[in-house]
Amino acid sequence: MKPVIALTKGRLETQFLKYFSGLGFDIEPIVNKGRKLRVETDDLQFIFAKGPDVVTYVQYGIADLGIVGGDILAEYTADVYDLLPLPFGACRMAVATEKGKVWPDQKKTIASKYTGITKAFFKEKGESVEIIKLEGSVELAPILGLADAIVDIVETGTTLKENGLVIDEEFMHFSARLIANRSSLKIKREELMPIIEKLSNQEGAQ
Amino acid sequence: MFLPAGSQDQIGHLLDRKAKVYQLFRKVAKKRAYKPIETPVVEYAETFTNKHVGMAFHTLLKWFDRDGEIEVLRPDWTTAIARALVNQDPKQLKWFYQGSVYRQDKDGIESNQAGIEIIRSEPLFGEIESLFFAVEFLNQTQIDEYLIELGHTGIYEAIIAPLQLSHQAENKLRQAMHDKQTDVVQRLTASNPDVSEQLHALIHAYGDKEVLVAFKEKYQSHLELTAIIEHLLQLINVLNQLGINDVIVDLGRVKELPYYSGTMFRGYIKDSGQSCFSGGRYDSLYHQFDQKISAVGLAFDVDILAEHIKDETQPRRVCLLASEATHVVAELKSQSYQDEIVDIVYQQDLTIEYDEVIDLRNEGSD
Repeated sequence: MKPVIALTKGRLETQFLKYFSGLGFDIEPIVNKGRKLRVETDDLQFIFAKGPDVVTYVQYGIADLGIVGGDILAEYTADVYDLLPLPFGACRMAVATEKGKVWPDQKKTIASKYTGITKAFFKEKGESVEIIKLEGSVELAPILGLADAIVDIVETGTTLKENGLVIDEEFMHFSARLIANRSSLKIKREELMPIIEKLSNQEGAQ
Repeated sequence: MFLPAGSQDQIGHLLDRKAKVYQLFRKVAKKRAYKPIETPVVEYAETFTNKHVGMAFHTLLKWFDRDGEIEVLRPDWTTAIARALVNQDPKQLKWFYQGSVYRQDKDGIESNQAGIEIIRSEPLFGEIESLFFAVEFLNQTQIDEYLIELGHTGIYEAIIAPLQLSHQAENKLRQAMHDKQTDVVQRLTASNPDVSEQLHALIHAYGDKEVLVAFKEKYQSHLELTAIIEHLLQLINVLNQLGINDVIVDLGRVKELPYYSGTMFRGYIKDSGQSCFSGGRYDSLYHQFDQKISAVGLAFDVDILAEHIKDETQPRRVCLLASEATHVVAELKSQSYQDEIVDIVYQQDLTIEYDEVIDLRNEGSD
């Protein structure tokens, strides 16, 4: 059976395909996949899913390898091999708030999609905070008064700026990563090694 | 009515298969002179969370008892058995157990295990016996497409010894090795490029016997590592002699619980990649009782084996059609069958396939 690679849909998928074709792999069937979520090339099978689901498919062995953001791996603890960083998808985690924000003299409220990372960060700082889980457009929370600050990934910082927010503190740097199912790596060593080696030779996250 | 996440009713076919796995396991254990042991389902949390055992508190199913002590549902057999065996007859070396363990971090809170513990034996004897037990048991279940993986806690520990890491730093590094995170391992060991290079190679040191041979060549002047490699080669050789050639190693494997202290085993089902058994040496588990004891064992995942075990050929199904007046006649008739499934009914269900239907409704009414 052809090795199965799970790809994170969206921006990471585009960046991965550009990178992957640069390594000499045939990506034609994937580029022209339309709305299909499962595509085969001559040597590989690809499935497309949201980041956290990529991790799930790899953990359960439906996919042998996965391409996923480091932020997802930090947020969702998964039982997979987290082999190496890839040279795209660079981003950082940051606490951001409105410019000139005066912090309340009580527990801060932080809105985030990444509640696990947020909790761990403030716990390590020794600061108690209230955390509100949001699914997207997190930048709205401080503007509308839902939270004092947000914790979110930042790539260029444009979205923050356009919404009148500034970075208060940066604390984690991520890139896209190659993950592998724990059994597949051993049992399908012959089939997977050439792919992993090609991806790792180009290693060096931005 | 709704069940909590992970809990499930067990019905019919799968339950039969699970019973068969337990039955075959018991047969093999008895034949190999093992003695059964069962520890209670409810124990104190401290037994599993103390520094010698080191299970994570959040993984346990726990509550307070009347005295304010924290009690748990048995999360691990090996630890519970170690507690129980310290006071048992030291002449009995080989023990077996079967039953459930309960953990919050697994899919399905309850999982079924069957396993063996060998204590106070010659070190090599215990390890070979564990592996040979696995081979005989898997043979009995007729699961023949499997792979045995060997590892050793001492390899990584010998290589990082020069770093003299704090407990916290070592935990971070071990987790990175466990996840084979090449870049993180490199970053955490940047202060010592020699160790960093060795760990990088160790992450990739998995595969067949050749990996061990190459490793032996590389570390020929390192006495401790040479002894470990020789030991693993010896285990592979005895397995080969028994006709088991699907053996791999992962020299970069690190212990997942603090009490592992030497050889580690794992069995994989080839087609699905599922892990069907795991275990190893854990002499240091007995340090909490101030005892120096050789201890080794392994546990089979009964749920996974039940998925893969070959179905038995179904016995013949006989339907005895009776009435209130002839129920006794049917019962007496059913006693003449030994190996068949005998279904006494008043009305035949035509959707059920029987090999033979005997109508006894009018028996003795003439």
